Amino acid sequence: MTNDLMLLLPLIIIGAGAILLMLTSAFEKLNNEVTAYGSAIIFAVAFLVQLSACISGNAVIFSEAFNGILVVSNFSKAAGLIILACGFFTTLSSQTYFKQNNFCTPEYYSLTVFAASGMLLLTMAQELITVFIALEIMSLAIYILVGYDRKNVISTEAVLKYLILGAFAGAFFTMGTAFIYGATASTKFIKISQFIASHGFSQSPAIIGGSFFILVAFLFKAAAFPFHAWVIDVYEGASAPITGYMATALKAAIFTVFANFLVLDGTLQAGWIKYLFYIAVFTMFVGNLIAIGQQSLKRMLAASGIVHTGYLLIALVAVDSNAFTGSVIAYYLAAYAAGTLGIFAALSYLGGAGEKRKNFDDFKGLAKARPYSAAAISIFLLSMAGIPPTAGFMGKFYIITSAIEAGQIALAVLGIISSIISMWYYLRLIINMYFYEAEEQFNESVPSQSAPICTFVLVICVFAISLYPIAI
Amino acid sequence: MIHNYLFLSIILFCLGIVGVISRRNVFTVFMSIELMLNAANLAFIAFSRVHQNMDGHVLAMMVMAVAAAEAALALAVVILLHKHKSKLDTNVFSLLKG
Repeated sequence: MTNDLMLLLPLIIIGAGAILLMLTSAFEKLNNEVTAYGSAIIFAVAFLVQLSACISGNAVIFSEAFNGILVVSNFSKAAGLIILACGFFTTLSSQTYFKQNNFCTPEYYSLTVFAASGMLLLTMAQELITVFIALEIMSLAIYILVGYDRKNVISTEAVLKYLILGAFAGAFFTMGTAFIYGATASTKFIKISQFIASHGFSQSPAIIGGSFFILVAFLFKAAAFPFHAWVIDVYEGASAPITGYMATALKAAIFTVFANFLVLDGTLQAGWIKYLFYIAVFTMFVGNLIAIGQQSLKRMLAASGIVHTGYLLIALVAVDSNAFTGSVIAYYLAAYAAGTLGIFAALSYLGGAGEKRKNFDDFKGLAKARPYSAAAISIFLLSMAGIPPTAGFMGKFYIITSAIEAGQIALAVLGIISSIISMWYYLRLIINMYFYEAEEQFNESVPSQSAPICTFVLVICVFAISLYPIAI
Repeated sequence: MIHNYLFLSIILFCLGIVGVISRRNVFTVFMSIELMLNAANLAFIAFSRVHQNMDGHVLAMMVMAVAAAEAALALAVVILLHKHKSKLDTNVFSLLKG
């Protein structure tokens, strides 16, 4: 019982913290600074609690009270750690970002914490309606954060697109749940798994249709190939720290629940693998094609996020549903999160007032004016491109190895080819930073040290994660 | 008997999809999404009757609560759009070209 409480404590801290921040933001005495550091402390405490919970094994928490809808595994704990760390760095980057951009209110930080509570719930949920509610808690907070700059037409358009398409995907998820409930008389993963084991996957059309709708919703939220178009517009419309938050924490939560759903039964996974194979391939190459054509840095990072979704789908295709640990997926998510969050933390203080620097050309000659920032950005880009000895290389290495072990040689080869193509747009920024004369001086003083410190810590993370060994 | 309810549910769901894709007014689009969610609710209730348990009813209530929260946000976005463009046509929003 105490153990269960310990495992649930990070979610409780985050949920209570979010409500507390929302209530305190009504007081005028508490300014944005205090709220920013308050939310960072909430994330830090929850992270430490989650870390201390890692010593215990898998558990169905409060199986009497919750009727087995929340299950904590090592995979969900790792994903929780990634989400909480992302939240921590996002709030600190935002603190610096809002020194130069003037649309912050204390509710911003509260919503960041609310989104994290939805994500944490999503990693543990083993029941379809819980997944739906967690998905909506996360999404509703993220929609508001995307459109937070209410005076900006572009971010309004971004939130409109995201809201329409997100709600559309949510409706698909509900319909899929209804079908699965119709077939199995339950929405719990364990019951669905028992039903498929006794009746077979291909014999029940309701299960096939229902799981198809649910996969569509997950692929949409993860920005995989046929449903990737929204991500570029939304990332461009959102503010830099929030874009980083969406690209990392949201993706970690979605892929955790995606993997949990897919491995609930071996035949269900086998039934969808051949389609996921093509989706993974198209996601990688379409993402690369889009990224090559971009002039804006944020749009390029959004498109590269699509490519990374493709790599994660390779890992999903390769998972063994009988002995599922999720270590490869969690490792890649951590490696990708460190690199992406680092870039967005750097953009938070290099972007300037009103994010005036956003294209590749705007960063020409950065290395002369700000050598440390340029070096940090280069390390993040190299990690995302997969150059040793960074975390991104090890993540790709584990993914490709697991794909080969699962017998998906073609997918492994295509993954490597896509990784080589992606060098093009990562190296382009490095070349712009190092081999051009500066067109401007980048001489405005950094208003706050939070984001630069985040960037530095994430550089260390990129190397530290690459040293962490996992068993495939 | 269950078939009739399911057919109605699927027809409503498809009408919702068509509405989201073809309509240009923001309000109509959000209404179409509500229609899709309610189609799912109808399916939940119908299946609940088939299985002779109350789970489906509870699930439908949950979905309604979430749909209400989503509608609240959607209306806020509609007001924001109207402030910017004085129009509720999705065509006028084409600054971002994905």
